[in-house]
Amino acid sequence: MTAEQEFIRLLKDHQKIIYKICNLYMQSHADREDLFQEITLQAWKAYGNFRGDSKFSTWLYRVALNTAITFFRKEKKKIEINVEVLPEVSEGSFDQIEEKTKAMYLAIAELSKIDKAIVILYLGDYNYNQISEVIGITQNNIAVKMNRIKLKLKEQTKKHFTTH
Amino acid sequence: MELEEFKDILNQQLATDHLYRTEEDIAELLSKKANPVIAKIRKSLWFEMITCIVATFVFGYLGISSKYASIQIYFSFFTIVFIPYIIIIFYLLRKTNQISSNNFSVKNNLQSIVQLLEEFMKRNLQFTMALIPICFIFAFILGFNEKHPIDSIDQLIFQYKPTISVVWLFAILYMSALSVGVYYFTKWYLKKLYGNYVKALKNYIHELEETA
Repeated sequence: MTAEQEFIRLLKDHQKIIYKICNLYMQSHADREDLFQEITLQAWKAYGNFRGDSKFSTWLYRVALNTAITFFRKEKKKIEINVEVLPEVSEGSFDQIEEKTKAMYLAIAELSKIDKAIVILYLGDYNYNQISEVIGITQNNIAVKMNRIKLKLKEQTKKHFTTH
Repeated sequence: MELEEFKDILNQQLATDHLYRTEEDIAELLSKKANPVIAKIRKSLWFEMITCIVATFVFGYLGISSKYASIQIYFSFFTIVFIPYIIIIFYLLRKTNQISSNNFSVKNNLQSIVQLLEEFMKRNLQFTMALIPICFIFAFILGFNEKHPIDSIDQLIFQYKPTISVVWLFAILYMSALSVGVYYFTKWYLKKLYGNYVKALKNYIHELEETA
């Protein structure tokens, strides 16, 4: 199996990681597609340096987050949250969990790019030590940031939930 | 409402709200071109490298072929000046290759890109500004000592008969205006290309360094 075939197979198996990042960092469908392509290409370029010291998933998170954080689109005056990206809430549904999830999703979408990176790793079940290795700051710093993020999300989710 | 409550559901929704890609789709993506900021700098660097190489040959040719000694020295000197600049561009190009195939942490990656962009902007401005006085001093000294008359300049002098103080005043004003103009134009141009981007990346680094 060639390196390219091996890479394609690994990426296919781990593509959900890239989807998560694209969905959180980009609002429009076109931008998400562009970011997906960018991450795939960056990962392929960097694949030669992947020596298997860490898991492929951790390595992919690192490359994908680096690409997403430094990926800029022409500035829009206001950040718009595209409803298309949000989880579907069926019409007339009183399902509070769905509404709450939507509110949480909106709150995460409003976080800074750095905070989003920490949340994505946290959602991916990475512990503070692993998150600190990917982000490049101390474990304590990650813990402090995570506490702040949780508080911020709690407040913002409440706000979004009450406005629905 | 706590983040933990939604961990599983968010994880699932974030990962599925997208097209599923087959191996063929991914293989097709690999044949496309990436367009990160590093690629943009690399393009600029290649453009400067090619321009410098072409200029080196053109200036070298002019230096050899001109019948005026002043022009020969002037262009030969610039041929030599371009060579170290080509080496600097080559060094920056190598650095961009290292960054684009890196396995850095988020913070290290941001720092490397900012460092590269700032170095590129600094060298570009330094080189542009350094060329101005060199051009003027050389043009002045060599023109002053030129043995063969340059008809068009002689005609101008004959027509307006300027005094030496007027010539000095004109030279100083011209050089000052050009230097200020080039300085601000280059700064504006570099800021327009990379300034806002560097600012945004620095804010991220600052955010990462915040502890309290």
